[in-house]
Amino acid sequence: MNLRSALIRLGASLGAILLALALSSIVLLIIDRSPLEAFAAMGSYASRVDSMISIINRAVPLYVSAVAVAVGFQMKLFNIGVEGQYRIAALVAAWVGGAVALPGILHVSLIILVAALVGAAWSSIAGILKAFRGVHEVISTIMLNFIGTGLGAWLLANHFREETEGGSLIIATARIPESGRLPSLNPVLEGLGVEVPSGSDLHSFVLFAILLGVGYYVLIWRTRLGYDLRAFGANPGAAEASGVNLKRMTLITMAISGAFAGLVVMGPVLGSFHRYTTDIPIELGFTGIAVALVGRNRPVQMALAALLFAFLNRSAQILDFRGIPKEIETIIGGVIILTVVIANELARRVIQAQEVRDAAAKTARDDEEGPA
Amino acid sequence: MSDVSTTEDTAPPAGNDGPPAVRLTGITKRFPGVVANDQITFTVQPGEIHALVGENGAGKSTLMKILYGMQRPDEGTIEVKGKEVTFRSPKDAIAKGVGMVHQHFMLAAQLTVLENVILGEDPSRGGAIDFRRAKEKIQQLAKTQGVPLDVNRPVETLSVGEKQRVEIIKVLYRGADLLILDEPTGVLVPQEVEELFETLRELTAQGVTIIFISHKLDEVLQIADTVTVIRRGRTVTSVPAAELTARQLAELMVGSELPTPETRPATDLGEAALSVDDLRLRDPDAGRDLLHDITFDIRGGEVLGIAGVEGNGQAELVEVLLGLRKMSGGRVLLGGEDVTDDSTRERREGGMGYIPEDRHSRGLLLPAPLWENAMLGHQGSRPFARGALVDRDGARQRTAEIIESYDVRTPGADVAAYALSGGNQQKLIVGRELTADPRVLIAAHPTRGVDVGAQAAIWEEIRRARGEGLAVLLLSADLDELIGLSDRLMVILRGRLVAELDPQELTPEELGSYMTGAHEEVSS
Amino acid sequence: MRVPRWISLLAALSAASLILAACGGAEEAPDEPDDTGTEAPDDDADDTDDDADDTDDDAAADDGDPVRVGLVYDIGGRGDQSFNDAAAAGLDRAEEDFNIEATELEPAEGGENRGELLRLISGEGVDLVFGVGFAFEEAMESTAPDFPGVNYGFIDGFLPDLGPDSNVVALGFAEHEGSFLVGAAAALKSETGRVGFIGGVEIPLIERFEAGFVAGAREINPDIEIDINYISQPPDFSGFTDPASGREIALGMYGNGADVVYHAAGGSGLGLFEAAKEHSESSGSKVWAIGVDSDQYLTADEELQEFILTSMLKRVDVAVYETIAAQVEGDFEGGYRTFDLSTDGVGYSTSGGFVDDIVDQLEELKAAVIAGEIEVPDSN
Repeated sequence: MNLRSALIRLGASLGAILLALALSSIVLLIIDRSPLEAFAAMGSYASRVDSMISIINRAVPLYVSAVAVAVGFQMKLFNIGVEGQYRIAALVAAWVGGAVALPGILHVSLIILVAALVGAAWSSIAGILKAFRGVHEVISTIMLNFIGTGLGAWLLANHFREETEGGSLIIATARIPESGRLPSLNPVLEGLGVEVPSGSDLHSFVLFAILLGVGYYVLIWRTRLGYDLRAFGANPGAAEASGVNLKRMTLITMAISGAFAGLVVMGPVLGSFHRYTTDIPIELGFTGIAVALVGRNRPVQMALAALLFAFLNRSAQILDFRGIPKEIETIIGGVIILTVVIANELARRVIQAQEVRDAAAKTARDDEEGPA
Repeated sequence: MSDVSTTEDTAPPAGNDGPPAVRLTGITKRFPGVVANDQITFTVQPGEIHALVGENGAGKSTLMKILYGMQRPDEGTIEVKGKEVTFRSPKDAIAKGVGMVHQHFMLAAQLTVLENVILGEDPSRGGAIDFRRAKEKIQQLAKTQGVPLDVNRPVETLSVGEKQRVEIIKVLYRGADLLILDEPTGVLVPQEVEELFETLRELTAQGVTIIFISHKLDEVLQIADTVTVIRRGRTVTSVPAAELTARQLAELMVGSELPTPETRPATDLGEAALSVDDLRLRDPDAGRDLLHDITFDIRGGEVLGIAGVEGNGQAELVEVLLGLRKMSGGRVLLGGEDVTDDSTRERREGGMGYIPEDRHSRGLLLPAPLWENAMLGHQGSRPFARGALVDRDGARQRTAEIIESYDVRTPGADVAAYALSGGNQQKLIVGRELTADPRVLIAAHPTRGVDVGAQAAIWEEIRRARGEGLAVLLLSADLDELIGLSDRLMVILRGRLVAELDPQELTPEELGSYMTGAHEEVSS
Repeated sequence: MRVPRWISLLAALSAASLILAACGGAEEAPDEPDDTGTEAPDDDADDTDDDADDTDDDAAADDGDPVRVGLVYDIGGRGDQSFNDAAAAGLDRAEEDFNIEATELEPAEGGENRGELLRLISGEGVDLVFGVGFAFEEAMESTAPDFPGVNYGFIDGFLPDLGPDSNVVALGFAEHEGSFLVGAAAALKSETGRVGFIGGVEIPLIERFEAGFVAGAREINPDIEIDINYISQPPDFSGFTDPASGREIALGMYGNGADVVYHAAGGSGLGLFEAAKEHSESSGSKVWAIGVDSDQYLTADEELQEFILTSMLKRVDVAVYETIAAQVEGDFEGGYRTFDLSTDGVGYSTSGGFVDDIVDQLEELKAAVIAGEIEVPDSN
């Protein structure tokens, strides 16, 4: 029964990805490029060790971002503001991290905590507006993205900026001291016999991201709070009648979503940049929405989706070398979102229809056997 | 009731020859588990105001949806102006001159009257909207209604009565000469009701035919030429309004025979489980009281039934008692403790069980598995929760018990709620509320939309729980249910409890007159 | 095929690459074992046999063997009609004059993969790699030491402690000096006593343009009014690729009475030129725009040319060309090179002849700057 549903879903996802590849192939053929060559180039480039490390490092922020979005989605709250939340959170956290010196674990914990709190505080503005003024969170979070970007730029330029040495033109916060950095996982890889090329660093934040995924699962599916949250998402009226307080739930969910959002770029910040610079990746908040969508808000599926997007992103880099426009990556990504979402919906309907049939059959059987 | 002639062959109002405006013959519509319309037959003459009365749930809305093309009948025929028609959509209905004014207005607030009227029906000239021609036509229509209306005003600035008029014009603009008005006075203040009636009389004078759906008997008698009564999906009768008194009409609606009370007299009643004292609820928008002077006690082992035509404050009463709406005055005591300012959760955890009247909007998480549905409303207590965590094993086990004890037909506890039939969904809800051992059960239409088998089972469970000392507040439109289960009956009318009756000695006449307000007329 | 070492890699990734590998295997069977069988990251199926080993010595290139040059643009890439195009122009000229083989790359929109691209291209067997833009700082710092056999040209860049033996040459420009001259030109041409400056992104580099421009305008007219506006704030770098905003801001400045506006906003400058035309036509009185980096009179649409007074030349093309030339001739030298007025590394353009009447004055100022009589500030 559940196995059947799982198989239907798996089949739908694989079918969707194959369909997306087929559609992308058509696009490639239209521009007179060989799809086989393109995909082979991407595949072989992606299977290099440094590519794999890069894919994981890229997938981590996407995953955290998707989790942040998914928390909101569970109660039908659309947090479009992950983008602004993580930027401002990372900035403040990096600044705090660069300003203090603490023993290792404490230092890192402090930075992560600050990031989560700032993200939560920033998203809570939208939560408060929604709960008490009825402002739709899509509007308020989009606005807060703009405000956050502006505020971040102002804070960075005027308050958090570290005067850099000599002729450097990079705008950045002070470097986080050694104690506040997360170690690379390269020694572990090397211990496993993997030869890590120079310049490649597997950030240990990936472990933290896995913990976040587990935390997300437990929060949503194993706690009463998560139950209330999902109940609200499934049927606000019934949730309300069961005693769920809508305002309170909106505030809490928005804050939790923002707290996750605050951690989006902690991997790069603690693992490689060690400060907040203008090079911190952007647009992760929006890609996170796509990842959550493709991963249906489920912890493991979102991880797969994040890896898929990271794979596309990394492997597309090789295309310029082969004379293939790397924009094909954007097309594949977009088509995958569409096909997977459609396939998920189809799978849902098939499963639903089957469940209804099963239940009806059961009822009919009971009726024939007489009432229990 | 026999003093009213049953008149298939009632003479049409004077001055009308030719085919009837509408003739419905043998209309039957079944939904899973229920027959909404059962062989409904009646005739509407051209130029008359024909009232269709019956309690909510009697099948009026379904019937009108069929006539307006929103649903198709399983059996029966519709004739419009003497010709048999088949409506596949409201568009077909409008093409034959049948238009509907809905209870809830379907207007775009920011657009003007003019734009709203022509919306979806633009008079175009060379691809551009011909506003001038449309304006003339609308002004003409407004004038014939005898009420001035500025077509350039945005709809959001109009009063409720004016909005309704826009709806009527919208329908007339599309060429309808048969108007269906669904509970048109429900949203109006008395002054506006008068104006509406003026308009309706103007329209019939111009040959428009009107079907007027209502359960307000005084209004029906005031405006209608002919009254058709529907009860439990069947046509009871069609009578010229002039031949009816309010009392007779009330009796027709309620029926001639009341079911016999089946509840065994309560042996020893406990303390007051639920006390409501002078409860008041004010609608801040309309500036009137939706509920006033509501006072009652229910003791353990007692079922208090609230009878009344729907829309008289029952839904509001339930919401206030559950804490979903903040009351404007009064007190509510649950087991002797004042819960007036408590949240819904505090009330539910304090032992307030709830069977909602609409299980889909208030009672279930349809995409969630049964075991998650079984904990809804009880998610904070054992066996569903342990500390801050959900106890999945406990919840599944409890769900299995509910499935077993309440005969919920399902392949298992992990099936999504949408997979179950209405009756089984309802049995699950009843099971989860009763298994949680509440102090008070608020049961709103607990057997609405379920099949007969499930209905009997649910009644039996409620009786059993009462026998074990549960206090029940039962709100229902089903007299079998009300009289069959209640120890005491109270009647709610326009937000007020107007009578307390003993189900053992109740007459249909008495109940009907209290429910419809006919009693007031008689006594005054 | 080799067994993947990362069996733990999750299903989507493996599934996708397996599908891809399978697709590739069908058609390119002969290549496949080589491709996936190579270990080192700097190896690739594409490498031809002869250049596999010659990356270790920059002087090794002889006439028969092309020097391989890689160039990683800044955001916007080739075709931005500004900074990146200036670099591209140098590369194009070098391609004509020398036996070189060039690969060009462009980072993603946010620019966060500059480092990966630089590393990627460095591992592809190239001799000389350019990072175009100061933002390559961290990328350069971490990549260059890993590829001692590759030389790097770092446009606008700065790394500490470079010496002649380093494999990195930081190619800096005295933008403030060039901007000083066009600032003077603006003040000389202004009839309203009001000029404007549009910066792409408010970063120190662009503030250098602003400082020079302001100093130049004040040098001519100490009372001149100068409107200053930046399109975006870091970390938002869209200000370099946003002509619509450039146009809006420029229209505002012209409407406010400014009649000469200078931009240091990369691709957004196109909006300035359009605004100059639009305002001139609608108001009837001609206003001027000043271009930046390359001679934008030459690349602009014909109908826009007459509004481009001059352009501040930042000879990125010269820097690229000269660095390639040095590489080809085997005398690449690490360290710092600054392109300023004295070496014509910065300057102003005269295309269109609109500044012919003030060239004498500009040349005087130029000489004064070179001689050190005027010291142009490089920040506010």
